[in-house]
Amino acid sequence: MPRIVGIDLGTTNSLVAIVEDGKPRVIPGADGSNLVPSVVYFDENGTVLVGNPAREKMVEKPKNTIFSIKRFMGKGLADVRNDLSLLPFEVAPSSDAIIRLKAFGREYTPPQISAFILRELKQNAERALGEEVINAVITVPAYFNDAQRQATKDAGRIAGLDVLRIVNEPTAASLAYGLQERRQGTIAVYDFGGGTFDISILKLSEGIFEVLSTNGDTHLGGDDIDEQLIRLILSELKLSPETPHLAAIRKAARAAKEQLSSAETVEMTVEPLGFRRKITRAEFDVLIEPTVERTLRSCRQALQDAGLAASAIEEVVMVGGSTRIPLVRSRVQALYGRVPHTDLNPDEVVALGAAVQADILAGGKRDMLLLDVTPLSLGIETMGGVVSKIIPRNSTIPASASEKFTTFVDGQTNVRVHVLQGERELVKDCRSLAQFDLKGIPPMPAGLPLIEVKFLIDADGILSVSAQEQRTGQYQSVAVKPTYGLTDDEVEQMILDSFEHAEADIEAREVIEARNEAERVLLATTKSIAKKEFADLPAEEQAGITAAADYLRDIVKAPDHRAIREATERLDQATHHFAEILMNASIAEKLKDKRVREIE
Amino acid sequence: MNYFDVFGLPKRLNLDLKQLERTFHELSRKYHPDYFTTAAADDRLRALQMTATLNDAYRTLRHPVRRVEYLVEIEGFKPDGSKVPQSFLMEIFEINEQLEEVKAGRASKEQVANLRREIEERALAFESQLQAAAVEWDRLETSGTDEEQQKQQLSRLTEILSESSYIRNLERELEEKA
Repeated sequence: MPRIVGIDLGTTNSLVAIVEDGKPRVIPGADGSNLVPSVVYFDENGTVLVGNPAREKMVEKPKNTIFSIKRFMGKGLADVRNDLSLLPFEVAPSSDAIIRLKAFGREYTPPQISAFILRELKQNAERALGEEVINAVITVPAYFNDAQRQATKDAGRIAGLDVLRIVNEPTAASLAYGLQERRQGTIAVYDFGGGTFDISILKLSEGIFEVLSTNGDTHLGGDDIDEQLIRLILSELKLSPETPHLAAIRKAARAAKEQLSSAETVEMTVEPLGFRRKITRAEFDVLIEPTVERTLRSCRQALQDAGLAASAIEEVVMVGGSTRIPLVRSRVQALYGRVPHTDLNPDEVVALGAAVQADILAGGKRDMLLLDVTPLSLGIETMGGVVSKIIPRNSTIPASASEKFTTFVDGQTNVRVHVLQGERELVKDCRSLAQFDLKGIPPMPAGLPLIEVKFLIDADGILSVSAQEQRTGQYQSVAVKPTYGLTDDEVEQMILDSFEHAEADIEAREVIEARNEAERVLLATTKSIAKKEFADLPAEEQAGITAAADYLRDIVKAPDHRAIREATERLDQATHHFAEILMNASIAEKLKDKRVREIE
Repeated sequence: MNYFDVFGLPKRLNLDLKQLERTFHELSRKYHPDYFTTAAADDRLRALQMTATLNDAYRTLRHPVRRVEYLVEIEGFKPDGSKVPQSFLMEIFEINEQLEEVKAGRASKEQVANLRREIEERALAFESQLQAAAVEWDRLETSGTDEEQQKQQLSRLTEILSESSYIRNLERELEEKA
């Protein structure tokens, strides 16, 4: 059985984890850090940086760095108008169904940007495990709709991963907390991350984690709290959000927010503007109160949907970086009348839970089972633009429903079906998932054909559709074109593109590494030639060294890492004997030095 | 396979919910797709479909009204709002007028409270009617009495469902607007 990793693809940070010897652990990157910032940097030379190196560029090169791409997953242009200022790149006009970013002559969709982050995590896992990693479980906010889930799966495929399961973040967190020790109980998982908020209520019984209800907001998180502070700073500086210093201001806001979790007063400083301002915890609390209240509204709705009073909740688990904020903790505690669990690192708990779910899928843990729900009702458009619900929200998944369709005109051979997600009555207030035509209906008088359409939401929370004409038993072809997102063909093309790109990337990295090595050797050689020992060398040896160095200086400019390495090797050979002489001289020098000191 | 068959139950309306949940968990442990990730494509698909049906069945049977709706549906009956008695429609019409006043913001707090009480009382009355009719259905089904009597009882259940859907709509509208 090949290994399955668990991935938390977060708005702010992403992580990869695995279960070993029955215990989940986070796999760190080459730089030793567990968190890979969800930041991608592009530049005109075609360089792409991911994670910490990309984040370091955020202030210096804000026009080249993309962050919080998760907010754009599964969205069309009309959905994200208010967030476009977050994006450093121009958005292509053809972005109605999916955002297309133009970065230095290439177009990137959010799944492709996310794929860069996933590829980094995949490589981190491969480096640590010493084997190829293909299979993964990826987490998403529980309140993600069909398009957002599909976009996450697409990102995985583009990154070369086989995404075996999409798991909801709060549910994953509950697995990590090892609450199965408790045989029975009702748990609330409050997950307040960088960009999204989820609340899930679960019932635990003999290893079965059954989600009773879930609620949330996929556009509510730490980013919104930063935004409050940014607005405060902008208004005091009388600046517009278009200021070139926005990235520096955002950095100051984030730092202040984080410090206020432990300090009572902090100073916000924006160096380039000479801005300094003290802010107290109390002032901060007033500022973020409406944001926190929005999360509590979702919590109350989830309780109502589960048919439970707040007092019925026996354990409260806190997940996500934003739960470090003291006001958040105290409000959640007040709502449920319970001290929330905060013992696991809120940044890591989702990834650890994803690894536990991966282990279940790999056959490791048969005693645990997660039964999750669909967060939004599934419906179809009926006469007059009204939505008829066929699978209600909070239904355990996989779930299915059948609907019968017929024709309105004699001989009609096509019936159009429109599928939507949401709680509202009217089509215009719900989220369009897909439209499709039931084709090839045998010509019959109106109302006589009966086409049974089966809607199936799988364990990832993703919809598929099949259809059968009842009288003839004929299966209909159902080609579902998603309203938002990529078609299968587009994903295939992106996988191919990414291979090309990945090869080009590897090539570019090899050249950079070879050049760095060459420069180092050249610098050392130049220093050594200046020493008096060089003049003592036979003329032939001197000429050999100079020639090899000149040759390398020429070749290092060419984008050919093999040639550079060869030339570096030649220079190494040429200086071998000289290096020994220098080494001996240096040792002799040190010994002499020592003797002098001993005498003293 | 109907939803009662999925749980190995006779087509009766009074269920032991604790037992239903236990069976649901047992069957989930047997068929859930999580345990078939590495299986052949055919088996994976079968696990997915089995579990979807199991979940649909559990969702339907554990809910007292959906359970009745499902029973009459598989027995070939269909609740129809246009077939309720005229006198009942008149009563609904009256309540609806009061609701319009509430929506338009012309009702006093007391009037809203009265309306809420009236709708709640009617909802409770339907609940007990449905419960009594369900008990009677179970008796007929258990004793295996003649089909005609069973059909009559199914038709009675369908009537109650048709009428109660009006009350449920009123409840929902009041909740949304008040």
